[in-house]
Parts: sequence; structure tokens; C-alpha cells
Amino acid sequence: MAEETEKKEITEAVEDDNEIEEVPKEQFMTFKCGVEIFGISIKYVNEIIGLQQVTKVPDTEDFIIGLINLRGKVIPVIDVRIRFGMEPLEYNDRTSVIVIDVKSTVIGLIVDEIDGVSAFSEKEITPPPSVSDLESQARKYVFGIGRNDDEVRLLLDPDKLINGTDDKEEEEEKEEEEE
Amino acid sequence: MGDDMITEGMLDMYLFETEQGLENLQNICLDSKDAGEFDEDHVNEIFRIMHTIKGSSAVMMYQNIATLSHKLEDIFYFIRESHPENVPHEKLVDYVLEVADFITAELDKIKDGEEPDGDSSSLIDELDVFLKKIQNAAPEAPVPEPTPLQEKPRFYIAPVASDDSKFYSIYITYCKDIQMANIRAYMAVNSLKGIAEDILFTPSDIISNPESANVVLEFGFKIALQTTEGPQRIMELINSSAGIENVEIKECSSDDFLDFCVEAETPASSAGEVLTAPIEQPTILVESQKPHSIELNENEGKEKSENKKDKSDKGSGGADKKPAKAKKPVAKKGEAQSFISVNIKKMDLLMDLIGELVIAEAVVLQNPDLKVPGLDLTNFQKSAAQLSKITSELQDAIMAMRMMPLKNTFQKMNRIVYDTSKKLGKDIELEVIGEDTEVDKNIIEHISDPLMHLIRNSVDHGIESNEKRAELGKKEKGKIVLEAKSEGGQVWISVSDNGKGLSRKDILEKAKANGLLGNKSEKDFTDKEVFNFITLAGFSTKKEVTEYSGRGVGMDVVVKNIQEVGGVLDIESVEGKGSTMTMKIPLTLAIIDGIIFSVGGTKFVTPTNNVTEFIRITKDKLIIEPDGEEYVMIREDCYPLVRLNKFYHIDNAVEDIEEGIVIIINHEDRKLAIFVDKLEGEQEIVVKPIPSYIKKVRGISGCTQLGDGSISLILDAGGLIMM
Repeated sequence: MAEETEKKEITEAVEDDNEIEEVPKEQFMTFKCGVEIFGISIKYVNEIIGLQQVTKVPDTEDFIIGLINLRGKVIPVIDVRIRFGMEPLEYNDRTSVIVIDVKSTVIGLIVDEIDGVSAFSEKEITPPPSVSDLESQARKYVFGIGRNDDEVRLLLDPDKLINGTDDKEEEEEKEEEEE
Repeated sequence: MGDDMITEGMLDMYLFETEQGLENLQNICLDSKDAGEFDEDHVNEIFRIMHTIKGSSAVMMYQNIATLSHKLEDIFYFIRESHPENVPHEKLVDYVLEVADFITAELDKIKDGEEPDGDSSSLIDELDVFLKKIQNAAPEAPVPEPTPLQEKPRFYIAPVASDDSKFYSIYITYCKDIQMANIRAYMAVNSLKGIAEDILFTPSDIISNPESANVVLEFGFKIALQTTEGPQRIMELINSSAGIENVEIKECSSDDFLDFCVEAETPASSAGEVLTAPIEQPTILVESQKPHSIELNENEGKEKSENKKDKSDKGSGGADKKPAKAKKPVAKKGEAQSFISVNIKKMDLLMDLIGELVIAEAVVLQNPDLKVPGLDLTNFQKSAAQLSKITSELQDAIMAMRMMPLKNTFQKMNRIVYDTSKKLGKDIELEVIGEDTEVDKNIIEHISDPLMHLIRNSVDHGIESNEKRAELGKKEKGKIVLEAKSEGGQVWISVSDNGKGLSRKDILEKAKANGLLGNKSEKDFTDKEVFNFITLAGFSTKKEVTEYSGRGVGMDVVVKNIQEVGGVLDIESVEGKGSTMTMKIPLTLAIIDGIIFSVGGTKFVTPTNNVTEFIRITKDKLIIEPDGEEYVMIREDCYPLVRLNKFYHIDNAVEDIEEGIVIIINHEDRKLAIFVDKLEGEQEIVVKPIPSYIKKVRGISGCTQLGDGSISLILDAGGLIMM
């Protein structure tokens, strides 16, 4: 319930802002992972579901938790915490799955908790600082920091999130394949 | 080229119609390739197909296709009209097939979004020569050389006439019993003169030539009219004269009007010729031509049926074949009406939805709310049973919808046998059995290539050349039998030939040269094992390479393709007598019977037909090699053991061999023991692919949904064993 009211407030705030500035804003679905709140553009988000029974797939990367059955469709789910190199957290009833569709790949992201929706105009999004104060690898997947009057959100690039980014990882993958 | 004007739908329709036409065309050709000539129905059918393709290609502005089909249409027009006696039938069949191939290639280009830019002119020239030849060969033909049809495409957009005046073509037929039709026709013209800005009519000599009355009666009276009045007014004026049976008024373009002018100015004598060469008049009107052709066909029909009688009297050998062929086109027409084509995506969607429905049904019927003690569920259970019945029937129905007869695939093979055997100069007959056997659409797509390969193999190096056969004293004709039948959840598709068969000696020699025999002596190999060598990559006993086969690439691909759909290839052969290759393929990819078992909380399924037995073994049956490899002894047989928990790094699994269970799985005569925690049950499973995001895992071929909605991985015996 608390979440819902929070969400409403945010959307109202968004609407207010729009009326004043009339600047096009991009909306971001925000969620908690550890202490930080991350955002992912809502254009990628299909839906949010509760965590359901996951079938593990052997011999895959550790962040791929397995497969779930989404109304007859089989989709893979990945744990964002593990992807960010954080300690895995025991799943509880706040744990949610954000189903995203990136270039026709449908994937579920397991996150600690859904936060809400935030909107940022282009001006309010700044590139991430080069020397990050983020304790985790999460920085690799962040393309910008959204900052408005009362919130700071780390905005994720979902493509990088699911497909990986840097050369190091690719090398690792290659090594794995060679093995 | 006109991309903006041509809508997607029009293009789809064009491609679909043209492809169907071409398919028919090929079937007709192959049906009648041995007959010595095309029979009446076939000639008409080919003419009709080419006419349609020509028309629609012209509309789509694919000129090369249009002109080529036009040329072929001319040839068949000539054959239809003049019945030339000595048409080189084989040559004609080849030409028709060549044209079909050309158009098919062009259609492929169109489908890929390219311009159909193939050059058909050389083929057209050849056809021209051919046409001239058959025309000259039949000088006594009653009809003079037909001029090509100058028909305008039907979607022609009429240029708007100036000053609000429009052009009309009017076609009037008179009751057959009236007198002096020419005078009545003249009256009609006269009554129209009042409103006409310009008027032309044919026959043009209705006043001066009393004979024209018969022409009018026979073929109707045609008027071209330029007027500012509407068609209703025209109708009123014409109907004021008596004896009229039917009036057709059609607005036309100024070009058509001009065409008519040219024709109307031809000398009076031409009116008499209308009887014999009606098409010589460039069309006045598309519609007005129809009555002609119908009448002509009727006349021809009589002639032809007489001809047919003659033929059946003459040739008693071919007589038994002909009636069957005559029936075929009729049957096809019927089929076309009772089928609709549906986008496969829609079918898949429907299938998914039904899948969801089944799960939803389970959720409702096994809802925990129903488990409250003391609840009276009698009525609920009744309704629930009804619901279950409907959903399971629905599932069967959608599965049945995906099933398609093998007919089309087999018909393609017909063509391949024809082409290949002709090029190789072999006399080969193809017999097709069980073409109505139905298999899943996906499977059909997968078997088409391997089947083609098997057929080519049979034609090329299965069956001996005609001379060789004569030498060997083989009296019967080279024959390939293509047979399909359902056999306990599987479809067996076999290709048998009565050729030379596989030579055990040659294969063994080659295998020895390639070092495939290992330590075993030649005698230890069963025939089956020997024949299986030919399915290895790069293995060919053929000494020289031909255009079609012999490169040693192929059989391995065939086997791979068949394995992809979960099938196997069975080879039988008797040297000197022939060989039979049988593809044994599951009926459907979508549903298989599976055994569910679990390892450390992860559930796996494996197809039931891969499982030989389950057995609980004791420690003394376990053999551990120094390198850690494990084997189990079961009834004197030794199987390599794979512990799935170790293989897939699964925690919390049973380690003690006496606590878990061993499943013996087999794949193509090779066996493997896998060690799992416990068996969970048996279920019909719907195979789904693993999302491509997850990279391929060894031994896992897909996943499926279990009764409780959870996902289970499908363990693929072939994948595990072949590692």
C-alpha cells in the first residue's frame, strides 16, 4: 500500500512538472537493488510479476537464475543483484520480476523491490561520473544519472544489462566456450 | 517499380495465385509426361493458368513474366484451336517446365524484395521457333495463324474522356428464333444515333449484307458508343426494339474505342471470318469475349469428345490410364474451394492460447479454495468434466490443423525424378504410395531436403543405366517407390529402388581405407552397421562425381536433418536387387511422451522412446576406472554411467548409487546409463525451445511445461550419447 501511494505521488509530481516546464520527459520504472535505486526506461518494460517457480538451467552464467513460465511462454530470468556483483539476497514477498523486451529478447529481471516511476527530461540526465562511488559493478550498466528536485536514480541500459558490455567479460565468455 | 501503387495485399495475392498456378502446371506436365500428348482438359487448364499469370503479371508490371507466359499461352492457344497432330510432346513438356522454372525463380526474387530482372527473351525466342514449327507441321489446320491476344490488362485505368462524354461498349444478343436480326440491330443503332457523339458497330455491313443476320444471331451485335448520356438512358433506347435477349453495357476507355474503330473499318468480308477466327479481332471488350469462348468451347467439346473416342479405340495400352487423369483436375477444383490459407503465425497464436487455456483450466479445477472440507462439489465436478473434455478436444483440433498431407512434398519428388532421370538418360518410373499421410507442418519442412537427396541418390547411382540393366538381364523398368505410412506414432517414409543396391564389399573396402573398422574384423560387422558407414561425412563409394551426387556430401546431411526432427534413417539393401531407405520420423514435433525425473530438485524430461529401462543397482555392479570413469554392469552388459548431478553441477543430489535410480537410454543402438535421484512420472509433453538468450547446454534439447505449470528441461539422449 505504501508503495502505491508513493507511486501516485510520483506520477502527480510528474504531471505537475509537465505543466510547468512542458519539456518532454522520459519515464523510468525504478526499483531497488541493495541501497541504490535504479531506473529502466518504461519503453522496455512489458510487465511486472511476482516471483514464481524458477527452473534452473545447468551450465549457464551465474546471474541467469533459470526459466519461468509466463502464461505459456518460457522466458529466462536473471538476478540483477548477481549481475551487479552484489551478494545475493534471499527472495521474499517483495522480490519482483520486471519483464523487459529488448530487441525482441524477452527477459525477466529479478529485483529486490519495485520502487515506482520517475520521469526525467533530457537535461536532468547526466552521464555517470567516470570515477564512480558505486561499490559494485553496476556502474558498467548505467548510462546516466537522472536527477531532479527530490530524487537521484541510476539509469540502466537494458541492452548492456542483459548482453554484457566490456571486453573483459567477452573474453571470459570466450574462455568458457573454449573450455 | 510501382511500389507505391501496389499494395502489400495485392502482391501477396499475386504471389500466392501465381505459385498455385505454377504448381498445377507442373503437376499436369508430370501427370501427362508419359501420355504422348496433353489431353483436352490439360490443354485448357494450361492455357487458363498461363492466361491468368500473364494478366496478373502485366498488372503488377512484371513484363518479363507477362511476355513469357503470353508466348506459352499462344502455343497452347494454337494447340487448343487447331489440334496439331504431331506436336513433339516431350519437348513441349520441357518448355512448359522451363517456363515454370523461370517464373518460379522470378517470384523468388520478388519475395526477397528484388526486382524480377531475369531475361526471358531467349526462352521466348525458343518458344517462338517451336510455335512456328508446330504451325508449319499442321498446315491443314482450319484456323489461320492466330495473332497474339492483344488483351489489355483488366485493371487498366481508363483515361477520362473529354467534354463529359464517355465511351461505352455495348453487346447485344438476340433471341435465336427471330428473323432479320441485322435489321433489328440497325434499329438499335438508329435509336442510339440520337444521343451519340460517335457510334461504331460490328458487323458493320448489317444493311447491305443479309448474311450478317446470322452473324448477329451467332455472336451478338457489338456497338461502340461515345455519348454524354448514362448507361440507363442507353439501355432504355436499345430496349425499345424487340427480340433482344440480353444487353451488356460497359464503360470503356478511349483506347478500346479506337481499337474498335480499327476493327470496324475492316472490310465486310471479315464478318464472315468471325466464325472461324474470332480472336483475330482485337478485343472490343473483355466481357464481350466471354460468350465467344464459351460457345467455342462447346463446339470444341463435341469435336474433342469425338477425337477421344477415336483415341480410345486406337490405343488400348494407354486407355486404362486416361480416365484417372481426366478426373484429377475436377478433384482439384473441389479442393480449392474447401481450403483456406491461414497465416502460420495465427495458428501458432491459437496454439499458444489453447496452451494457456489448459493451464488456466488446471488452475481453476485444482484451486485450493475447493479443498475446504464439507463442500458439496457434485455440480461443480460435472461442469468441470465437461470443460476438461472440451479443452482436450480443442487441443486435438489445433494439432490436427497443423497436420498436412505429404502430397505436395511427394509431387515435388515427381519432378526431380523426371528431371534427373531424363538428364542421365535412364528410364525410371516413380510410384507414390500413401501421399495422403499427414504429418506436422514443421516436420514436412524438415524432410523435404533429405527426401530429395534420397531420391536423387536412387536415380543417380541406385538404378543402373538402361544398357547396364539390359546387360544384367533385368527386364523390368527402373522403378522408384516413394511410400509413406503411419506406424505407431511415427511416420515411415521410404524410398526404394530396384537398382543395384549397396555393395557390402565396396563399403567395407572404403571404410578400411578410411580407418573406420578399428580392430574388428570385417565379418563382425552386421549389414546394418556396414550400411551405416555411408551416412558418415565424406564417405562415398562412387568413383566419379556427377552433377547430382557422388561427392560424399549428402547422406550425412540427410541423417542430420532427420535427427533434427527426432527421426532415424534405416537402410536396407540387397546387392543387385535394390535398396530401401526409410526415414522414421515422429508424427509431430509438438507433443511427445516423456518420463519425468529429478536431480537435486531440478526436473528433467526425456522422451519415452529413448528409454530402455529403469534399474536400481547395487554397489558391486558399479565399476570405477582409475581415471574416474564409471560403468555399470547390467545382465552381463556394460554401460558407461553419467551422473547427471556431476555432469550439470547440481547440488543437493543423491550421491549413493544405491539410493538413486539408473535410467538406460538409447540412441541409434548406442546405450548410456544415467544416474538420477528419482522418477517423478510420465506425461505427454509439449516441446518448446529454450530461449535463445540462454546458450546451448549439452544434452538439453528444449523445455516443456509440466502439469503444475513449472518448466522442465528435456534431456536429449542423442545429445548426451554423441558427446
